[in-house]
Amino acid sequence: MDIIFSVVLGIFCVYLFFLVGAESPAATPTELGAAFWPRIILALLIFLIVVNIVKTLRQQKESGESLMAGFNVGEFLKSKLLIGMIIVAILAIVMPTIGFIPSCFVFLIAYGTLLGERRIAYLAVVSLVITAILYLLFQGGLDIMLPRGTGVFRSFALFFETKLPF
Amino acid sequence: MFDLFLTGMKIVFTPSTFLLLVAGTVLGVIFGAMPGVSASMAVALALPFAYAMDPIIAIAFLVSVYCASITGGGITAILFRIPGTPSSAPTTFDGYPMAQRGEAGKALGFSLIASAFGGLVAAFAMALISPQLASVALQFGPSELFAVSFLGLSVLSCLDSDNIVKTLISGLLGLLLACVGMDPMLGIARFTWGSSTLLSGIEMIPVMIGLFAVTEVLKQTGKPRKVDQADSTSGSSKTNTVLPSFKEVWATKTTMVRASILGTVVGILPGAGATIASFLSYAIEKKVSKHPEKLGTGIPDGIVASEAANNAATGGSMVPLLSLGIPGGNAAAIMMTALVIKGVQVGPMLVKTQPDYLASVFGSMFLTNIIMVIVAMGVAKVFAKILSVPYSILGPVIIMMAAIGAYALNNNTGDVALMAGAGIIGYMFVKLGYNSAALVLGLVLGQMCESNFRRAYTLTNGSLAQIFTKPITAVIMICCIVMLVYPFVKPLIVKNKKTA
Repeated sequence: MDIIFSVVLGIFCVYLFFLVGAESPAATPTELGAAFWPRIILALLIFLIVVNIVKTLRQQKESGESLMAGFNVGEFLKSKLLIGMIIVAILAIVMPTIGFIPSCFVFLIAYGTLLGERRIAYLAVVSLVITAILYLLFQGGLDIMLPRGTGVFRSFALFFETKLPF
Repeated sequence: MFDLFLTGMKIVFTPSTFLLLVAGTVLGVIFGAMPGVSASMAVALALPFAYAMDPIIAIAFLVSVYCASITGGGITAILFRIPGTPSSAPTTFDGYPMAQRGEAGKALGFSLIASAFGGLVAAFAMALISPQLASVALQFGPSELFAVSFLGLSVLSCLDSDNIVKTLISGLLGLLLACVGMDPMLGIARFTWGSSTLLSGIEMIPVMIGLFAVTEVLKQTGKPRKVDQADSTSGSSKTNTVLPSFKEVWATKTTMVRASILGTVVGILPGAGATIASFLSYAIEKKVSKHPEKLGTGIPDGIVASEAANNAATGGSMVPLLSLGIPGGNAAAIMMTALVIKGVQVGPMLVKTQPDYLASVFGSMFLTNIIMVIVAMGVAKVFAKILSVPYSILGPVIIMMAAIGAYALNNNTGDVALMAGAGIIGYMFVKLGYNSAALVLGLVLGQMCESNFRRAYTLTNGSLAQIFTKPITAVIMICCIVMLVYPFVKPLIVKNKKTA
């Protein structure tokens, strides 16, 4: 896996190296230009990635491991970890649309279930209480304007905001 | 000095001021412990309260919030691996492993004592040699500031001595991420692909929260065992905030003194601040420690190095503000605003014509750093109780707190997506043996390093020789080279010793 990651990263770095050069105006005798610093970093990165690939290949040759050693795609696709990653990604995607209150409540139930909590009713009550605490603390107490969402979710959030005691 | 001390004590021990400072400390610790509420945000949140106060009391109150928030940031860093403030990020390296071993109380104790010690050292340094320190800070131009930030980067070679190449790659990726957005000198867009969101660059706090907090929850999720069972180990040892013994604290004395001095000096430098101070201090600890391999596994020295330095930097940042009228960082700038609103003329004459301000700040820092230990312990106990909650509840709450922390920075849901992405990438990073701390270090220091180097180049009309032959720059750069080369030379020295 490390080699695949390194190769992809290396190719991306080469692309960025040429991209930043093409996007930035040329340096002057007293100004290094916008591309100077990123190019130094990218050159060093490409060099170190090559060193890492060579090093890993040598180690694999010595141990006789395959390219995908230590990583089972089938197992990963069925793992809790992947589901966890998907739930976190969904949270980030839906929060602007459905707002803080629904996304927090649903997320707490979904992730709690994933982590092994089987008592759904208990989880729902706890999630509701935690959502209320977080909302009151940050929106009410600290005046942080939590995401309201859009459409009906926005109206829902505005309704709660009018009910806040402070 | 004695007069200043007496005046300071007279101001802060007035009953009403004393109560305000206690309230400021409580507010500061709570704000600091909340992810996403940075020290400057804590000061900004406390600003409305200061409007109604006398300017001398107002500055004392804001200083108490500032100092306490930096300390509060260490609580969640140790207990949940969520740095409350960016400057607490290095505290997670040793604090969290200690908490995982059931030594949360001890870790918090070291954190609080180191914070108080660092804060007190900085307070005395500020009171004793404020004008001298400010004039030293003025000697630091772009080339010297570049050298300081490069010194911070030079630690990359020793963050994980078993995997130097991957650690360097991680650090360079952090530096590359810091390049995204507007070029700091010419305002040219870099790596934005036409996106206006990317123009403002990659925010450090969402990336840091994602890499530390979200990655940790994902790691727990991926473990092939019942998470609740594993975390039900949170017994009384986790919920107690037992202070370390005097003997244990004494064992960290060198680290504490070194970190406090370093933090004070870095705090004075404009644009540096508590985050760079704590990273730099941790880095130096890793270099000079007798057992560098143990740092990162959960030892008190790591916590002390980070916490003493970041709290000392709070005092340091007050030096240019009071001596020269130049705010050393964001929080100091907010405090300056409060004074200006009150009609106070901030500048070099302030300390001479109205020494009460210096006395008030000194008194507030002195008192806050003492009462902070008690207040923070109380807050830590409440937070530590949360550890006994089953992980099926705690894990999702950590992610939600992280999401709010990322969002609260700019009220931007894009930062939540950035945090989620950083968490997922951070997990892969850890699995592949890369170093998240190195990436954060690169991201923190990237822009400071680039902008100062390019500024220095322009100021010297393109002469690299002039940049590197300046005395302070040359000395710091030599230190950098020694730090960078040492991990590569060390095995050869050991080998030679063995063969001899």
